[in-house]
Amino acid sequence: MTNESLGEVFSDFPALLRRRGLLGEPPGLTNSPTIAGSNFTPTQATTILAFKFGQGVLVAGDRRATAGNTVVYDRADKVLEIDRHSIMAIAGVPATAWEMARVLEHSLQYFRRTQLQEMSVHGKVRALSKLLRDNFGFVVQGIGVVVPIFATYDFAGDGQARLYFYDAMGAQFEVAEYAATGSGSPAVRGVLFYENRWGKKPLHKLREDEAVTLALRALDTAAEADTATGGVDRNARIFPLMKVISREGIRTLPEQQIALRFKRTVA
Amino acid sequence: MTEEPYRWVEAIANRREYIETQLAPGSPIAALSFRDGILFVTVGHARQKLFEIYDRIAMGAIGHPGDIERLRLAAIELASTEGFTRSATDVSLRRLAYYSLSPLLKSAFEQIYGPPFLARMIFAEVGATAADDLFLRVDYDGAIVANGRATDTNPPRFSAVGGTARATEIMDALLRRDHDSGQTLNRAMTIALDAWTAGSLGADQSSGNEVPSQQTLAEHRTQKLKDATVEACVLERKNQGPICYRPILGEELKELIKA
Repeated sequence: MTNESLGEVFSDFPALLRRRGLLGEPPGLTNSPTIAGSNFTPTQATTILAFKFGQGVLVAGDRRATAGNTVVYDRADKVLEIDRHSIMAIAGVPATAWEMARVLEHSLQYFRRTQLQEMSVHGKVRALSKLLRDNFGFVVQGIGVVVPIFATYDFAGDGQARLYFYDAMGAQFEVAEYAATGSGSPAVRGVLFYENRWGKKPLHKLREDEAVTLALRALDTAAEADTATGGVDRNARIFPLMKVISREGIRTLPEQQIALRFKRTVA
Repeated sequence: MTEEPYRWVEAIANRREYIETQLAPGSPIAALSFRDGILFVTVGHARQKLFEIYDRIAMGAIGHPGDIERLRLAAIELASTEGFTRSATDVSLRRLAYYSLSPLLKSAFEQIYGPPFLARMIFAEVGATAADDLFLRVDYDGAIVANGRATDTNPPRFSAVGGTARATEIMDALLRRDHDSGQTLNRAMTIALDAWTAGSLGADQSSGNEVPSQQTLAEHRTQKLKDATVEACVLERKNQGPICYRPILGEELKELIKA
């Protein structure tokens, strides 16, 4: 136990878990059987979006999880808090994504506690990238694709919000204004692009209530054409989940606030 | 030579004496419940002595920095893997100390060809109310002292370690006299610093086993703080996220010490 600790110079939590048999080895890329042609259909989740507005970053996700044509779940949580100032939003297979978020959350805490300092934004972004790359074998097999968005606040650097999206192989792309992934994302990107360029004001000048309206409209637009996106369930009154990151930390917007905004400006 | 039992006992006694001598000059640490959580206080020169272990657990230690580091990392590793595999609520200080740390310390101490851990630690776990707060003193030989006796219906909500047994006793006596878990952070800081001062006076062996007078404490404290700095952290009972640990730094620390 302690000898291992002594060698633990990199403070790599996933490696520690693997040594103890608590986390599987990454699947290899060669000779991976694929499920093409089999009857197995993995559960998938879509659509997520994030954009910078006047008071921080808004991250939103619809609540639907599907497997093929079936709606598996209508209250899925795809916007996950990783630490006091970081959010990982997930599109893809929730089984893999939630585990990934769990590993990431514990990795960052483990680093802070052992090394007695906060991990840098770049370090956090790379940590998620590494988890995605380790998972690529499952992506090739067709059962574990995850395409996340990562949003955080850079205290050590310039004190600005940072927003990234990833591809399934683990490449990270930093964006200045907005990001969307998942099956409904083309529509969302269209809405956000249009609003940012020709709307009443650019995204970064929106107030919080205006940002909530835009997120609701974007998700509803995505749901209009993409059956895998839940949008807003008007009958069951299920609303997208939204969180805001600002200098003060993360705030989950109360459902009532979103419902009220929906009634006034979307429905 | 150590196959003879009395030689082994002798070797252990020598080892104990050696470790006690090494630990004796250690700067005392006090941990106590207050209205909004648990406060840890010590006074040091440079290196950090108070650490976050997990969401609700913190540790303070005196001894050799290398040994403290190994024990600290072992504790974080155990708590983190447990918290990851099961859940954060399954991580308990009681198990961490009794089940994991104590056997490790005991075997290192008693295997006389290997090096022992030169460390004396104080652990605390913050609960939903002060009555649920847990304090454990873990020594270099694996001995564990909980706050109060097992039969106590209302055990004291504090703990203290000094470099010597006498220092610890004096701190205990002072805390038993002055401490109440409903106190404010300001008041808790004053008492913790009094306890620290009493402990560091006790280690000097210039006084008896009595708790020093308020005047002696004040004089000694002013003198000691001239070329040292107060280190403090809290485990907050109610906070936004799951993480309760917060170091007290800068202006906040200055204000609290002044009060």
